[in-house]
Amino acid sequence: MNNRLKVLRAERDWSQADLADRLGVSRQTVNALETGRYDPSLPLAFRIARVFEQPIEAIFIAE
Amino acid sequence: MNPASRPKRPFGFGTYILMILAVAVVGGIAGAARALVGDMTGPMGLALTAAIMTAAMAVAFAACIWWWRGIDEAAREAHKWAWWWGGSGGMSVGVILLLTLTFGDDGSTSADVGLSAPDLVAGGMWTILLFQMAGYAVAWAVWWLKHR
Repeated sequence: MNNRLKVLRAERDWSQADLADRLGVSRQTVNALETGRYDPSLPLAFRIARVFEQPIEAIFIAE
Repeated sequence: MNPASRPKRPFGFGTYILMILAVAVVGGIAGAARALVGDMTGPMGLALTAAIMTAAMAVAFAACIWWWRGIDEAAREAHKWAWWWGGSGGMSVGVILLLTLTFGDDGSTSADVGLSAPDLVAGGMWTILLFQMAGYAVAWAVWWLKHR
């Protein structure tokens, strides 16, 4: 699954560590999410949507 | 976002090392206590040994639960994947290797190599555990490399 995490993070000028802090995950997990190699659970996807204040479907794009 | 409302940061490598050290200390204490009651024979010695080992295992298990709850979902996924593929794969390789060596047709017996039956059982258990842990470690590293 593709996502816009990297773009959204860059727009806010956050580092991966900043985003990891906001989500309560490790920086390695943020990296895995951004590269699209790890799909988050539904609870984490909702947390991501809440942090970026966008609907889930605006962040994650089904391939 | 209000910093106070931020979720808790997951455990890092430092916490993992600390937990391993703490469990090793508990294991050491349990081993020392076992050595102290080692000379006791009969049901009392057996009961004390069982109690010491049960307490040590309970502490180790509680530490595992505490640590598991402190890591994030990707870290848990890596461990689950490593347990299934690495642990199972390592065990399979270890079993085949051990059985091949044990039942090889070189004519040697356990008595030839100076091993008693309990030695062989313990050796087999440790060997399989070693292969499982090696497989686990490799699979865990592979998972994170694949997800970089």
